[in-house]
Amino acid sequence: MRGRKANVAGLGLTTLTYACALAMIFPIIWTVLTSLKSEVDAVAQPPSLAFLPTLEHYREAFLDQHYLEFFRNSMILALGSTLLACVIGIPAAYGLSLQAAAKAQKTLSWILSTKMLPVVGIVVPLLVLYKSLGLFDTYVGMILLYAAMNLPLVIWMMRSFFAEVPHELIEASSIDGAGTLRTLVSIVLPLALPGIAATALLCVIFAWNEFFIAVNLTGSRTGTIPVYISGFMTSEGLFWAKMSAASTLAIIPVFCLGLAAQRSLVRGLTMGAIK
Amino acid sequence: MQQGPLVRRNTMQILLVAPAIVYLVALTQAPFAVTLWYSLHKWILTEPELGRPFVGFSNFGEALLHDAIFRTSILNLVEITGSIVVASLGLGLLLALLLNRTFPGRGVVRALLITPFFVMPTVNAVVWKNLLLNPNYGLFSWATDSLGLGRLDIFASAPKLGIVVMAVWQWTPFMMLVLLAGLQSLPNEVHEAALIDGANAWSEFRHVTLPLLGPYIELALLLGSIYILQLFGEIFVATQGGPGSATTTLPYYVYQTISQDHDVGMASAQAVLAIVVASLIASLLLRLMGRMFRPVAS
Repeated sequence: MRGRKANVAGLGLTTLTYACALAMIFPIIWTVLTSLKSEVDAVAQPPSLAFLPTLEHYREAFLDQHYLEFFRNSMILALGSTLLACVIGIPAAYGLSLQAAAKAQKTLSWILSTKMLPVVGIVVPLLVLYKSLGLFDTYVGMILLYAAMNLPLVIWMMRSFFAEVPHELIEASSIDGAGTLRTLVSIVLPLALPGIAATALLCVIFAWNEFFIAVNLTGSRTGTIPVYISGFMTSEGLFWAKMSAASTLAIIPVFCLGLAAQRSLVRGLTMGAIK
Repeated sequence: MQQGPLVRRNTMQILLVAPAIVYLVALTQAPFAVTLWYSLHKWILTEPELGRPFVGFSNFGEALLHDAIFRTSILNLVEITGSIVVASLGLGLLLALLLNRTFPGRGVVRALLITPFFVMPTVNAVVWKNLLLNPNYGLFSWATDSLGLGRLDIFASAPKLGIVVMAVWQWTPFMMLVLLAGLQSLPNEVHEAALIDGANAWSEFRHVTLPLLGPYIELALLLGSIYILQLFGEIFVATQGGPGSATTTLPYYVYQTISQDHDVGMASAQAVLAIVVASLIASLLLRLMGRMFRPVAS
């Protein structure tokens, strides 16, 4: 008797869970649907469900030189800044993982505190300095900033991965006479490779989605996808299908990376506080 | 002599860490010091003939005492951030509890529930503002109209709520993930012990699960607040801080001061105050949380 009651309750909870998942994903489904409509169907009232799907807006996007440029900019900035953050951050994480815990903790807290500083606190001088140094609206200028944005994440996350590398391996390697750097490259890095991949994926995602720095410090040359999408804010009632196609394309890369990084997502978001 | 390798190893450790520290100082701390310096000057980019005179704390005085919109933007920030954090934490807890069971398709459901977090802020805003919430062609306003409730125009009638709704959609997955990690870390014996004690589901949740989840709730609250205090893209796209200054938050107001007034001194002072407000909120939260989730003495 009790078992059946529990079964019914369980079925109810499972159904509720499915309903919640559907509700959460619905805005994305609706966006994808709209991207397949004609512009007339996109604003039809009542909303049209029986429409003839078209890939026209995707074709347009792929032929739109302007859109492709923003896409390319986003890729260059996301990949460039991730590479830089890893090159600086991974050795630092390794160095910290070798230090005594108390000493390392101080440095780590300080590194985390730089992440807590709202970007709005530094954007004004960056704007002024970048304009006078010729870094405004350049790849280099933006890569430098996105790398700084992701560096604390790389250090915290990689340190938590390095902590999982068996200490005996590191010691054995140093007894064999290998220096710190060689131990890092030949023993530790290969073991931490999945961790590096997960960290890099998260860095790419955050750089890809970043908007505040981009809208302040990019112009026509290095504008990113989030900036391009923000251009649709004034086109009320117009081009909803085109907007939806552009939006869908903008979020697809991140969804794929996010799916791949799913298992380390919590670790990354909490800076390694939760494994 | 014997200390040789040890000293060398220590030097090596420092050499490994130093570039990162120098880099972070140069790109975050140094610009912030410059922000402090600028905030003490009167400097408007479009009026170079005025020069850049040192004016002490007068920018701060003007922002705090004579600028009503600035004060509104602080209140808006607190109200909007607070609503988003509380609502997404509550929903996130609900979803985490639902996910913390075994049922068919759990992995897929988990992936679906996470996806809103990966949507970039500007896509989030154009989709919600137009496709879903537009008063004339939006899906939701069509739905309310069909139900005889009239056309929903949330950005006119309750603009803050509009911002909150789209941000909650985005941030609920974050809260859910952190809390789910917490639920999964709870030892199974706890649940069994509660069963033996004859606790029903609610009292087990209230007296066992929730207190044990305390540290995770704290973490979700704190990190969530830090991220959500910086909410910008949604406001930029959906409302531009309006109507009037109804959705102008501190970060958005700083953006307006620098990009529309080109007022470097004032924008810097506002930015400094924004950081003060953010730190105050964070430390207040930390203190509150310490009190709320202290283990119950029995």
